[in-house]
Amino acid sequence: MEVPMDPLFLAWSYFRRRKFQKCSELCSKILEDSPYDQETDTPSVISEAAWSLKTRTLTEMVYIDEVDVDQEGIAEMMLDESSIAQVARPGTSLRLPGTSQGGGPTPAVRPMTQSGRPITGFVRPSTQSGRPGTMEQAIKTPRTAHTARPVTSASGRFVRLGTASMLTNPEGPFINLSRLNLAKYAQKPNLSKTLFEYIFHHENDVKNALDLAALATEHAQFKDWWWKVQLGKCYYRLGLLREAEKQFRSALNHQEIVDTYLYLAKVYQRLDQPITALNLFKQGLDHFPGEVTLLTGIARIHEEMNNITSATEYYKDVLKQDNTHVEAIACIGSNHFYTDQPEIALRFYRRLLQMGVYNCQLYNNLGLCCFYAQQYDMTLSSFERALSLVANDEELADVWYNLGHVAVGIGDLGLAYQCFKLALANNNDHAEAYNNLAVLELRKGRIEQAKAFLQTASSLAPHMYEPHFNFSTLSDTVGDLQSSYMAAQKSEDAFPEHVDTQQILKNLRQHFAVL
Amino acid sequence: MTTATAEMKENTEANSKWLDAHYDPVANLYTFSPCITLADLQGDGENKLVVGDLGTGVCNMKLKVYRGTSLMSENTLLDLPTGLVSFLMDQHEPRTPAIAVASGPFIYIYKNLRPYFKFTLPTLDVNPLEQEVWSQAKEDMIDLMSLKEMLEGIRDKAEIPLSVRSLKFLMLDPQEMEAFVNVHKQQPIRRQTVITCVGTLKKNMADEDAVSCLVIGTESMDVYILDPEAFTILCKMSLPSVPTLMDVTGQFDVEFRITVACRNGNIYILRRDSPRPKYCIELTSHPVGLVRVGKNVVVGCAQETLQGYTQKGKKLWTAYLPAPVTAMGLMDHHTRGFQAVLVGLANCEVHMYREKNLVSIIKTPDVVTSICFGRYGREDGTLIMTTKGGGLMVKILKRTAVFEDRDTAPGPPLAQSIRLNVPKKTKLYVDQTMRERENAVAMHRAFQMDLSRLRLAVARAYVKALESSLTPMSASLTEPLKMNAVVQGLGPSFKLTLNIQNTAACRPVMNLAVSFLYDETLYSMKNAFFKIPLLVPGLNYPIDTFVECLTDKGISDIIKVFVLREGKSAPLLTAHINMPVSEGLALT
Repeated sequence: MEVPMDPLFLAWSYFRRRKFQKCSELCSKILEDSPYDQETDTPSVISEAAWSLKTRTLTEMVYIDEVDVDQEGIAEMMLDESSIAQVARPGTSLRLPGTSQGGGPTPAVRPMTQSGRPITGFVRPSTQSGRPGTMEQAIKTPRTAHTARPVTSASGRFVRLGTASMLTNPEGPFINLSRLNLAKYAQKPNLSKTLFEYIFHHENDVKNALDLAALATEHAQFKDWWWKVQLGKCYYRLGLLREAEKQFRSALNHQEIVDTYLYLAKVYQRLDQPITALNLFKQGLDHFPGEVTLLTGIARIHEEMNNITSATEYYKDVLKQDNTHVEAIACIGSNHFYTDQPEIALRFYRRLLQMGVYNCQLYNNLGLCCFYAQQYDMTLSSFERALSLVANDEELADVWYNLGHVAVGIGDLGLAYQCFKLALANNNDHAEAYNNLAVLELRKGRIEQAKAFLQTASSLAPHMYEPHFNFSTLSDTVGDLQSSYMAAQKSEDAFPEHVDTQQILKNLRQHFAVL
Repeated sequence: MTTATAEMKENTEANSKWLDAHYDPVANLYTFSPCITLADLQGDGENKLVVGDLGTGVCNMKLKVYRGTSLMSENTLLDLPTGLVSFLMDQHEPRTPAIAVASGPFIYIYKNLRPYFKFTLPTLDVNPLEQEVWSQAKEDMIDLMSLKEMLEGIRDKAEIPLSVRSLKFLMLDPQEMEAFVNVHKQQPIRRQTVITCVGTLKKNMADEDAVSCLVIGTESMDVYILDPEAFTILCKMSLPSVPTLMDVTGQFDVEFRITVACRNGNIYILRRDSPRPKYCIELTSHPVGLVRVGKNVVVGCAQETLQGYTQKGKKLWTAYLPAPVTAMGLMDHHTRGFQAVLVGLANCEVHMYREKNLVSIIKTPDVVTSICFGRYGREDGTLIMTTKGGGLMVKILKRTAVFEDRDTAPGPPLAQSIRLNVPKKTKLYVDQTMRERENAVAMHRAFQMDLSRLRLAVARAYVKALESSLTPMSASLTEPLKMNAVVQGLGPSFKLTLNIQNTAACRPVMNLAVSFLYDETLYSMKNAFFKIPLLVPGLNYPIDTFVECLTDKGISDIIKVFVLREGKSAPLLTAHINMPVSEGLALT
């Protein structure tokens, strides 16, 4: 005869094995048997436990680590009222990366993103597209499903997650927030914490979460650091950064916790005070020596401020603590690649491969490293594997683009032409491919086509200097000096130190001045 | 830190020479060097600053007089001033100079800051053919169209150019012509030139307070010298080009030289008793400033150079400037016997050159547009500058200031001693090259095999893309087209802009249509199929259309755009638009 297991224990077991759907169903069943009435004062212990477990399950289903997820929305960037100094001193602001301070490679060697920062080795929310200069640019940047920048960070991703959870519960929400007596729950510490997380993460109702947290911290006589951190999180979501800072600081006075340091640093980065954030991280490292997340935070800030050399130092420190840290390995690898040491980059990428990272991007990088480190026998097979692992059109376009580079390298321009065209067929917005295709067209003598491609490239990616410069030289040879001058000026804006642009500008100025 | 201290050192160096007497960044003074002068207008021994203010270029032209730091008087000018000089007209006591302002074809003479006399340039000959045509028009013997045709014919061929009236008439729209002719046909035709530059020339004595003649350069390529009292033309000389800058020295009755920089890039030197220029300096670029120092001429050129010439047109030296020249002026300190050229540059600096040596640099807060050095108030060494933003700056030369004759231009650039950061070749690299050397044949074979396989794969993918016209540019020779699409908007309605361009050399493309393929449950479009107009080669045709997003679930999809040719089922080209997620919710 089968002895049935205690359903609550089973649900707990499911929860620990991360089988949330089953756990949720089981909890629902328990609650049906002994309903947990939100109104009565003395509910049974079992139903209370089941209710709490279900809130945790539902939260876990949609949980995202709050520390990492952060992307400034268009509204925060363009309608920023708190910015005071438009031109900050170099090295004190994330908004004005300036030219490389740490002696890193120039844009001629390491491509730039739209924000004027060198391309990174590891894609994070903030590295995706950077800060657009104008409203039009902000709206125009290809906001596709995977590179989308939300309108505000308060809507965007969080609303989407909230609605996604609505879809899974067609009969309506599990807890009716409007009928909840928050004051009552705030007095039950064992329920209030799970309830808070449910409201914050699952329902994404920051206002109610804030109310609950405020009541609860009052009940705890302002002595519980956890509630202060939650209050800070709520304030941060609402954009009340100074209030959030106060809460996090106060929480740190009660108890030193790594997470609190990370949240506080996030606040400072949003306030555009990278130096304060760096100091905070260092303070955190005094209490938690060698903490990987803090070290990574420092490295990221250095990277965003264009100080690649010190970023690499900190990533190396990260690796000393945790030698399987994917972000650190990838960033150091890409730095070596762009500082003319592809053979070392190859080592780092191989390490990633050994760790079980097995995707298109990695093989893509491996192929390029092999090619530039002259290990020709492995180059093309890496690319072949990258092609077979492609997950979407954009990745495919990138692989074709890199193959085009290899083809240019071995002098097979026909093949290169085909590759760049294939890159464009898969990603219509691939500005680099447009640019390279234009150069190939120019070599064939088809000036009109080259011109059209260059114009497209420069409208797709105004931050790249190459299309402007190419257009400038092209117009110069054709004899259209005015267009050449205008394009050269744009190129100078994008990359002021570019010697060839300076040369062409000098020649043109001389042309204009001579009789 | 190092740059900061260097900057401070430079500042203190400049401070050791000049006192900042006055700086008003909002003096609302827009002028250039020929329109600014210093003169003792009231005979009280105190020099005033007289400025012909250009205003906005359309209105607010003023003759302004400053005394000390304040504006003393203001007279409205009718037209843009092109030059302003102060000169002594007669021997009467007290010896107060008159002000001559050149604007348009007139010279206005002010005495005691009151209008005194207006001199008008002599009119020029009118083309007899033009005269004839207009007299016919006066008697209504000619209709408007043939009048226009005749005038156009004269404009294209005749040696004597048309009058302003005829030129204005040719610019008019046909319906306005009749009214214009009716208004103007009764008046006689006149052709008038305008003054481009003005200078003064002592009559018969070299003294500081001697009577001077006016020297005028005109658009009709002539130079006139006027009598100071009667304002009659004493002498007329003609030039091969239009004068723009002028410098005069000598005495009219003895011997004089007029140095004129012209619009054709040449500098001509005129002398007494020769109606044609005596010497010519051919520059390699347009002159933008002209200053005479002693017997030499210093010219600032558009090529960012400063060149020195002798009186006879022999080149002495060239100095290269860091930025384009915006203003030039002579610094002539009589009591010290110090002469130098002040050059205002577009990088907010004023350089002081003595011969070809740079002796001092003054940093200014704005770009300087006019420079005047001389006695202001009772102070001998005063430098007055106005800026592009309408500011007025007055600096006084310190008594202790010493200018070294040595060139202060820096020596070899610092960059020479910086070592390049060339990464060292790692041991790993050496090992890999060893491997390459040992297994060269095998590696080559593997690479070649991979390469042929890759070529095949690429060719297959390429053919597939071509057959289904997946690329955003068409490969066909008859319709070489290119398209890219941009999405704008936050949702639920988006604007799609298709940029279509015909990349052929000279052939237009017609009979094209655009159609869209999309998931109808997610998006709706008003017209998913429309024709596009004839495409002229080389132009970009932006075509807008609107898409409505129907879902509020935060899902997005791809919209495909096809460019089709009439009568063909296969598309010419295809573009995929990755739609952004709709942020707003559709109104229901």
